[in-house]
Amino acid sequence: MIELKNISLSFREKVILKDVSFRIEDTLTTVIVGPSGAGKSSILKIIAGLWKPDSGEIFFNGINVYHMSESEYQTMRKKIGIVFQSNALFDSLSVTENILYFLPERKSLTVSELNEKAERLLNFVNMDGTGDLYPEELSGGMKKRIAIARALAFNPDLILFDEPTTGLDPLNSASIIELIEKLKENGTTSVVVSHILNDVVELGEQIIVINDGLVVESGSIEKIMTSDEPFVNKFFYQLSKHNYIMKSNYNMYELINV
Amino acid sequence: MAQFKNMIYGFEEFGFIVRDLLLGIKTIKYNWDETLTEMYLIGSKALPLVLLGGLFAGVILAIETGHQLKLFGATSLISRTVSLGMVRELGPVVTGLLLAARTGAKNSSEIGAMKLSDQIDALTAFGFNPVHKLVLPRTVAALIMFLPLTLIADITGILGGMLIAKQTFQIEIAWFWDTAINALKMKDLFVGFAKPFFFAFFISTISCYFGLKTKGGTTGLGKNTINAVVYSSIVILILDFIFTKIVWEVL
Ligand SMILES: Nc1ncnc2c1ncn2[C@@H]1O[C@H](COP(=O)(O)OP(=O)(O)OP(=O)(O)O)[C@@H](O)[C@H]1O
Ligand SMILES: [Mg+2]
Repeated sequence: MIELKNISLSFREKVILKDVSFRIEDTLTTVIVGPSGAGKSSILKIIAGLWKPDSGEIFFNGINVYHMSESEYQTMRKKIGIVFQSNALFDSLSVTENILYFLPERKSLTVSELNEKAERLLNFVNMDGTGDLYPEELSGGMKKRIAIARALAFNPDLILFDEPTTGLDPLNSASIIELIEKLKENGTTSVVVSHILNDVVELGEQIIVINDGLVVESGSIEKIMTSDEPFVNKFFYQLSKHNYIMKSNYNMYELINV
Repeated sequence: MAQFKNMIYGFEEFGFIVRDLLLGIKTIKYNWDETLTEMYLIGSKALPLVLLGGLFAGVILAIETGHQLKLFGATSLISRTVSLGMVRELGPVVTGLLLAARTGAKNSSEIGAMKLSDQIDALTAFGFNPVHKLVLPRTVAALIMFLPLTLIADITGILGGMLIAKQTFQIEIAWFWDTAINALKMKDLFVGFAKPFFFAFFISTISCYFGLKTKGGTTGLGKNTINAVVYSSIVILILDFIFTKIVWEVL
């Protein structure tokens, strides 16, 4: 379980997060939604420990990590995987190297054990036989899946996905969503940043709506859809406007009181 | 005012990188592969440049001073001028400037592209310090490679000067070489061989700094690559001046 309490962040004079508080439960898939520039990626980077907030507290399973030193944080980080918005694959390394290169146990495993591990992960993300390719030879959807495999190599308890389906065709998006669901079955908690309605509906067990550095609403999908917050209404109305095929059990137009 | 503030922030950030680098010096043993690759790249790619740069610096030095010395009938001094000039000043500075352009642009654009595509954050997320993983191997590689490259520039420069001396001023090759080498005192060698280490350190830290602070897409990448080369070059010229001045006054 992760809890953020009154997190604020600014870069020099620019305020990015004003006062963000929310909880992420272990068993629930959390989706963070919000417009571009709202601070979603920044929140993920704070959870991953890449950026230190200016103020506020972060708890991992009840332990306050805000005051931890860099080396204590390292241990924490190993439990958190992250799939970046831009994938962030190392383009000088092959797919297999991308997956294995940064493993802490790299030195203690034999070459065949390592290769086996890479193959197993590639198989999990449906990318068998691509180990020798380089990132530039992969399509967007393939890169995304390799980035997921790389995050999984660390056996994290929690994985952060930054817009995993943005820019992918519907079939690729569906396969990424399937992967995230498969992870849940294996007991890995996911936090997904997205502004694609389909992701929110398919994955979101807990939804957090961010606007302009603040949490404007959070809770189940039903709660969000029936929210009185003008911003939430407007945002979800715009998201659903062009979605002609709705999941049968959610009729957005009924749920949103426009 | 805002610019001044940015400059202060810049110095502070640069200071943090240098501090991280010095604190992490021991981690080099985990990054020997990267260091060797960087050494190979600096050596193999810069060698032709340095050969040419050194050669022409020596040739020009010999022509210009030769004609002046001839007025006083002192062409025999060409060898001293060329060897002192090359070893103390032109060898290190020409090599430094060439490497500021080559290595500086390479470091800054490579690391900048990594920064823009979140690869730097990914390194941190996997438990690595980007300064230890990227800046340290590049700096150590530069520290190791700059001196031999400077030596090569010195030698080709003296050889270039020797050709001109023979060709234009009819000076015996063997005699030129002997006096050129004999003219060099400990102090000259010290100045000439200490400079490359300082140049290497600053070229690589400055260019990595600009790489790491890249933002603003491809325009930002271009801008920071230019900054890396410009600032490294300026710092080389300033350091060279400080060195020359201090050494003349103190040693
Ligand atoms: N390294 C940085 N330095 C300065 N400002 C930054 C930095 N990173 C992000 N920002 C700013 O912080 C704000 C929030 O950025 P963030 O990337 O978190 O937004 P986001 O919600 O993920 O947007 P998107 O949906 O477009 O990815 C933006 O205004 C951005 O310009
Ligand atoms: Mg983002």
